[in-house]
Amino acid sequence: MNEEEMRELERKSRAAFDASVEAGDAATRSRLARARATALTELRHRGLGRATPWLPAGAAAAALVAAFLWQREEAVEPMTQGPVAYEDLDIVAGGEDFDLLGEDADFVAWAAEQALDGVG
Amino acid sequence: MEDEPVIRSATLDAPLSLGRPGAAREERVDRERALDRFLAGIERRAYRVACLALRDRAEAEDAVQDAMIRLVGHYALRPEDQWRPLFYRILRNRITDLQRRAGIRRAVMAFWSGGARDESAPDPIEDVADARGRPDEVIEGEELLARIEAVLATLSRRQREAFLFRNFEGLDVAQAAIAMGCSEGSVKTHYFRAMQALQGALGEWQA
Repeated sequence: MNEEEMRELERKSRAAFDASVEAGDAATRSRLARARATALTELRHRGLGRATPWLPAGAAAAALVAAFLWQREEAVEPMTQGPVAYEDLDIVAGGEDFDLLGEDADFVAWAAEQALDGVG
Repeated sequence: MEDEPVIRSATLDAPLSLGRPGAAREERVDRERALDRFLAGIERRAYRVACLALRDRAEAEDAVQDAMIRLVGHYALRPEDQWRPLFYRILRNRITDLQRRAGIRRAVMAFWSGGARDESAPDPIEDVADARGRPDEVIEGEELLARIEAVLATLSRRQREAFLFRNFEGLDVAQAAIAMGCSEGSVKTHYFRAMQALQGALGEWQA
């Protein structure tokens, strides 16, 4: 495919898409406007909420690390404490406050693959 | 003499206005208006993209609404020029979730029905509206879009996303990379392959 053919296909397909957007029915437009209003109502109720979504997760993680370190000091054989702590971390990481992390999961997986490719 | 630079906050697009009575409320109202404008300008295109990816209008509406709520809930304080790629990043993740669930549902249905073909799956070319009484270019555009939709369904997820974001949504390479959660080079590669596949499938029809 040469450059000119590609540009032509891009132009035609975009024009077809734009036309389909403009041709959207009134009922769908109305439902989308309602969805937008719902989203903005959430903002009104919650406020801008600077950084607060991370506070509970941060506090839980800090408490977990502190508990882990304290257990290590107490333990006769520290190696036996490891798996328990990792399980706890999984439980915390599975919580709602970590859902932002989920949006980057694919990216993290991709970055890990790239790193492995670089090694191999 | 050079103009003095305006000091802006790290998270807001507007100059800092802390300490003034009512400033927080004004800031919230300004953000709300900006978000309303942004979402009003993007919602119909986002819905069409979600329709093309999911091939289900009700699920497409749900995905767009979820993306709106998450953008407003988590990224309202980000600079406005980041909203577009972030919105599509969230929408993409919702679409992927819904596709996975639909895949599991289909697999379960196929298992219980002994592997019979799913008759409810829409045929985009058959879905093209009745052509009578409408201009030729409109009919041609609808048919082209239906054929593109059929080809997109055969591409890999990454190729489909690259095409939808770059071509239909007009995101630049950097924005598409944020939306897809991959490198800019990866966006270019997937987009080129998608265009090759479309050209191969549509070439004869276009001629």
